[in-house]
Amino acid sequence: MMLNIENGSDGRVVISGRLDAAQSQAAQTFLDALTGTVILDCAKLEYISSAGLGVLLKTQKRLSAGSGKLRLVAVNRHIRDIFMYSGFDQIFEIEAAVE
Amino acid sequence: MGVGVQPRALSARDMEPLLAVTIHLAAPFDLITMLTEVIAAAKQVLNADSGSVWLYESETDELVARVSTGLETVRVPAGSGIVGSCARSRQIINVSDCYADPRFNAEFDRKSNYRTRCMLTLPLVDHKGVLVGVLQVLNKAEGVFDENDEVLASALAAQCAVALQRVRMTEALIEGEKMRQQLEMARVVQMSTLPSTMPLVPGYEVYGTFIPAELTGGDTFDLSLVGQGLLVVLGDATGHGLVPALHVTQMHAMLRTAFRLGADLDTAFKQVNNQLAEFMPADRFITAFIGLLDTQAHRLRFHSGGQAPILYFRASTGKCVRYNPTSFPLAAMPLTKLRPAVALEFALGDILVLLSDGIYEYCNAQFEEFGEQRVTDLVEANYHLPAADLSALLLAAVKSFAKGAAQEDDITVVLVKRTGASEARRRQFARSNNALEPITAFVAEFFVGEKIDESLRYGVDFTIEELFTNMVKYSKTTESDIEISLARIDDGVEVCLIDRGVDLFDVTAAPDVDIQRPIERRAPGGLGLHLIRRMVDSIDYQYIRENRESRITFRTTLDGKARTQLPQLGKANDAQH
Repeated sequence: MMLNIENGSDGRVVISGRLDAAQSQAAQTFLDALTGTVILDCAKLEYISSAGLGVLLKTQKRLSAGSGKLRLVAVNRHIRDIFMYSGFDQIFEIEAAVE
Repeated sequence: MGVGVQPRALSARDMEPLLAVTIHLAAPFDLITMLTEVIAAAKQVLNADSGSVWLYESETDELVARVSTGLETVRVPAGSGIVGSCARSRQIINVSDCYADPRFNAEFDRKSNYRTRCMLTLPLVDHKGVLVGVLQVLNKAEGVFDENDEVLASALAAQCAVALQRVRMTEALIEGEKMRQQLEMARVVQMSTLPSTMPLVPGYEVYGTFIPAELTGGDTFDLSLVGQGLLVVLGDATGHGLVPALHVTQMHAMLRTAFRLGADLDTAFKQVNNQLAEFMPADRFITAFIGLLDTQAHRLRFHSGGQAPILYFRASTGKCVRYNPTSFPLAAMPLTKLRPAVALEFALGDILVLLSDGIYEYCNAQFEEFGEQRVTDLVEANYHLPAADLSALLLAAVKSFAKGAAQEDDITVVLVKRTGASEARRRQFARSNNALEPITAFVAEFFVGEKIDESLRYGVDFTIEELFTNMVKYSKTTESDIEISLARIDDGVEVCLIDRGVDLFDVTAAPDVDIQRPIERRAPGGLGLHLIRRMVDSIDYQYIRENRESRITFRTTLDGKARTQLPQLGKANDAQH
């Protein structure tokens, strides 16, 4: 239920649970340590709020200032809606989950 | 004009004063000035000591002297006395020795301490042959009025008649225009006090609408949250026009003030009645339903000052119950004692139906009234509809019944329906982002317990989080918990967040963010509300001043149907994706 974020086995970053205002600082701290192109596996990410979007936005800005970027994969429909409604789908590369 | 007098060419000497006064007669636009000008002209042209104009009033068939030199304003029936005879016969009457003439009324002389020797009386008939009045001049400076004077006077009278008629018509037009403008202003004032949006009340649907008649009627309504609960008002002042519109507006304001100051129902009803009784004219009154709904205990208490019928649909029986007034109309007289208010337990599915007599008494071409039975039948057959739809159906039924007959009176519909299929669950949460986890658990438990469709979960969680974290962030003046209540509504859920001890801040009024901005210029702030607007059917902010309480209520349903009842929330930006 709580947020979990860790390095996966295939070089991806795996995020699971709920990325809400209470958890955003923990996620930010983890993401701040990454460089280059980061693939974020969202298959088990259930929920993201605008505070969570803020974390991803800040990370995307930092990475793209170098030559990297943040790529989101296996994103569920609800979260894709959030990205679309917010226009963030134009800022991130997003790959839908197989549903 | 000039009948019985041999026409005679006017000399150049006669012409001069006539032309001079004609110029004066062209100028005035108000009646008093015009009358003064006419009399001055007559005195000058005819070398008379005194003069008067009697205006003819066709409605009363009387002659009225509004301005006259040396005489009080007075009325004379057409046909009576010299003035009356002149009006009736439309003939010049030249009396060279008044006290020898039996038609002469010496009363005026006595009253004004004047001695009338001779008088010339002329009908004032305009160019269309309409009798405008009678012109009378008294006491020629030397001798008596002769035939020459009669010719002069006739020429003058024709000018005066046209000028007077012009001014009278202008004044009537101005009066009509003034009245129209006043009515429009009163209408604006009356409409401005009505609630512009319906308050969201957890577990209830409240709906009010007002359809003004062409001329101002005296309806008003109120549906607003006050410290004691939901204030429900329907009022109708007697008569049409400016005055009733202003009276109901005053009542509306007084009631809101009384309840905002914490008055109880009985006190507010009594006080407002007594104050209205003091300043409203003796023959005026306002019928009014004034109720307070405790939306947590589900108890409605009301007084009705002459407002009837009050219909109450009971879901348990499927029938409408009729309640009669508890008192006489407001302002009819001061209240010394008051019967107890009616108290009702508002059960699930119950509907309070308040309609102004603009509906009950709507007449079709056969002079048949819409009546109470049609309302009752319609409500009993359609009780399951959302309040807004029920109101629309009712108005459509009235329209189809009327078959084009004009709306003579204001129409007001106020409906309060208890919809929540469950008791609202409410819980207090600490003012901290750490409360998000227990909040999520609370919502999850409610969804499972109430078998609410899981697809609505995301939007509810998201919206609660955005609103809650905003409250945490911006309400620095209080440490108190934030209350969240959840209630099931048809095919959906209704959520209310209550933040106490805070200043007014309507977060729902924040503008949408520009989601087209490039990444380096974007910050996540303000995005939450932008997203909320796309996830819920409706969202409403209420501030209850006396408790310093902010309430944000939102609704979301499977097919977005709660959207139709409330101010529309846009999805306009989504089309481009």
